[in-house]
Amino acid sequence: MHYPWWYVPFLTSPMLIAIIAVLHVLVAHYAVGGGFFLAVETQYAYRQNHREYLAYLKEHAWFFILITVVYGAITGVGIWWTIGVASPLATQTLIHIFVFGWAMEYVFFVLEIVSAFIFYYFWGRLDPRTHVRIGWIYAGSAWMSLVLITGITSFMLHSGRWPEERTFWAGFLNPQFVPQVLARTGGAFLLASLYVYLHAAFKAGGSALRDLIAVRSARPALLGSLLIILGGIGWYLTLPESAKAALVAASTLNILVVLLFAVTIAVFFMLYLGPYRHPGWLSPGFAILFFTFGLVAITTGEYIREAVRKPYIIYNVVLGNQIYAEKVPELRRTGYLEGGTWTKAWVSHHYPQVSNNGRIDPARLLALPEDDQVKLGEVLFLHHCNDCHAGRRGFSPVAQLIRGWTPDMVRTVVEHPEKAHFFMPPWAGTPEEAELLTKYLLRIAHPRPAGMYFGEERKP
Amino acid sequence: MDPTTLIAPSSPLGYPAPYWFLVAFKVLGFTLHMIPMHIWYAGVLLAMLLHWRGGEAGRQLSRRLMQPMPVLIALGINFGIVPLLFTQVAYYKVFYPATILMAWPWVSIILLLTLAYYGVYIYVAGLRAEGAMIARWRRAIGWVTAGLFLLIGFLFSNAFSLMTNVRAWPELWLRESVGGAPLGTALNTEDPTFWPRWLMMFALAWTTTAVFILVDAEWFAHQEGPAYRTTARRVALIISTIGVLGFAFTGSWYVFGTWPEELREKMFQGPMRALTALTALSPGASWLLIFWQWRRGGTRMRAAATAAVHVLALGLNAISRQVVQNAELSRFLDVTAEPVRLQWSPLILFLVLFVLGLGIVAWMLGRLALIGSPSESG
Repeated sequence: MHYPWWYVPFLTSPMLIAIIAVLHVLVAHYAVGGGFFLAVETQYAYRQNHREYLAYLKEHAWFFILITVVYGAITGVGIWWTIGVASPLATQTLIHIFVFGWAMEYVFFVLEIVSAFIFYYFWGRLDPRTHVRIGWIYAGSAWMSLVLITGITSFMLHSGRWPEERTFWAGFLNPQFVPQVLARTGGAFLLASLYVYLHAAFKAGGSALRDLIAVRSARPALLGSLLIILGGIGWYLTLPESAKAALVAASTLNILVVLLFAVTIAVFFMLYLGPYRHPGWLSPGFAILFFTFGLVAITTGEYIREAVRKPYIIYNVVLGNQIYAEKVPELRRTGYLEGGTWTKAWVSHHYPQVSNNGRIDPARLLALPEDDQVKLGEVLFLHHCNDCHAGRRGFSPVAQLIRGWTPDMVRTVVEHPEKAHFFMPPWAGTPEEAELLTKYLLRIAHPRPAGMYFGEERKP
Repeated sequence: MDPTTLIAPSSPLGYPAPYWFLVAFKVLGFTLHMIPMHIWYAGVLLAMLLHWRGGEAGRQLSRRLMQPMPVLIALGINFGIVPLLFTQVAYYKVFYPATILMAWPWVSIILLLTLAYYGVYIYVAGLRAEGAMIARWRRAIGWVTAGLFLLIGFLFSNAFSLMTNVRAWPELWLRESVGGAPLGTALNTEDPTFWPRWLMMFALAWTTTAVFILVDAEWFAHQEGPAYRTTARRVALIISTIGVLGFAFTGSWYVFGTWPEELREKMFQGPMRALTALTALSPGASWLLIFWQWRRGGTRMRAAATAAVHVLALGLNAISRQVVQNAELSRFLDVTAEPVRLQWSPLILFLVLFVLGLGIVAWMLGRLALIGSPSESG
């Protein structure tokens, strides 16, 4: 509420974060797991003096650079871009708490970039020992960047002791940290193997080489699956109660959790029965199917991880609608429009008559003409609700959700959204402002769908 | 509307380190970022021009400019993270509103950069596969890529000039918003400082690219003959001359045509006078060194000295930009006045890792120094 709210019709601006984040995560895990794959397998190929495998690994390293250094790096920066414009208060908070975490991650980024390019561009010119060492520098740096960013993203789901202690480490070493590092490390190993299968199915020469790749990459994938399960259990056990409740209560999440389990089990069995026991199965079709399953599992997992945080962006610190949780009582007293930097400026500019000694007087808001009250209701909707709800149409559109509601029903939910659904943020304005929002919602609400029969006499 | 009413209150968390520390890393990071960024900003366009109109020697130079471009872009993006990070720490009150007001153009940078980066890879892959007879469609991609980099620079200049152009926020906001929520479609093109700032960076990019050509010719062009080095020195001088003249013109336009009186007074008084003069003149120092080498011939040490002088010029430019940015913002807020809640142990850990990281990079580069230039086969 300290910053302007970016209005994105239909989609809502936070959905852009979700889209870019998912696109990034699909490659970011490969950037870590693929680093280990290249380091371990190059070491193995040198030891065995396996020329054909080394040639394949060089080709894979090129594919790896094109995917991770270009696409992965830019979408990583892209997340920053979008969180800054779609969720500025939470971003500001995270950056002020964890700037040195990001700065440390940056050091590892530099190591990753330099080592990745040396590993590929100086292939065949470095002695095997140095070449493998460079590969390990990449893998270690990539994993460290995973650890560092996970400390920050896991803090968003569970802020741990930070609200009391307000120190870097109290936030970084939160209850979700270790489980998420385990799960993400597992995800990196698993996803990297799926990328390897996809690439090898098309690019690896003879069937003997493909079989070797299939068997050897099944091991880290199976280890990855195990880490995902361990991390997943730890993740669930250390979830805040509201997140556990959201998993059970939200219908979308129910379905996605089942989907996640189903796909993960399918991938596990496909791994065991396919590449591990029958490496000859590794055909392009099998690899594409496998890869698709992996993408579905990762995307679903990320969506669940994001969704269970509601109503917070940072648990118990920043609410989804860009309000510090601790500021809610004050805003309920003084008013949301008064408390928001840009909302206050907008109201003062358009309706100077509602200001009294430089402050917005809530009582004067209801003295405005009806259309102006609705207009102010729209301002409240956009700044208080649009982070999760589109207006008339689009993502979770409120006009559709309240079809057929009576004014009292709308008013009750506006005044106590957190009681209607515990995963919604509380109302953070005065009763007068709630009235304005109610009027706006009633103005845009669609009527109850016609023709629905509940045993009553049909109306013509 | 009073634009200062649009400035957010201070973060209750305060700065995690003293302001001087944050701004020092911001300036250092921006200086490091400028080096590779300049080379792709002007270099891709130059490479296309040289391939088109440069004859055989120009094509050779164009190839040498483009081949390291993927690595330079990766490094430039990485180095750009540091100034962006510390900008968000110390300048959050103006950074977020400015980028939100122009959110769509700002976010589009990600898509444009991805396309440009892959464009460079497609072009370079063509150089390796097809040599001088690079296919027409790849050349077309090269031109589009050069255009995309210019467009990205245009958008960056918009965002960073809008950060300090707080006075324009109310109008941009009220003009393009729904219910007080901006549509994110604004641009800062009506700001008189925007155009010279954008063009000044572009002109400076030509001077950096000239130095890069010179350094590449003396240090890395082992396979090329002495004729190539002569051509490289001549082209470097032409490009540097264009860049320095452009810098002088756009810099004068910026300083004398757009700065308010009080800012000019501040930058032309006391110790600031020396900084302003050095910033204005320093690109001329590398031009003089390039000119000298064009007349007298180059050596590795001369090229290295030119690069060092030019990096100093870029550093001065970054410092001056910072001073001007603070002076422009001082009408609206004092970025140095935030409370500090020092995070000692993460700060020390970062510095330790920073030094260790530099050590590991030095070790890796040291190993490379033993074996020479990279494989051409990739």
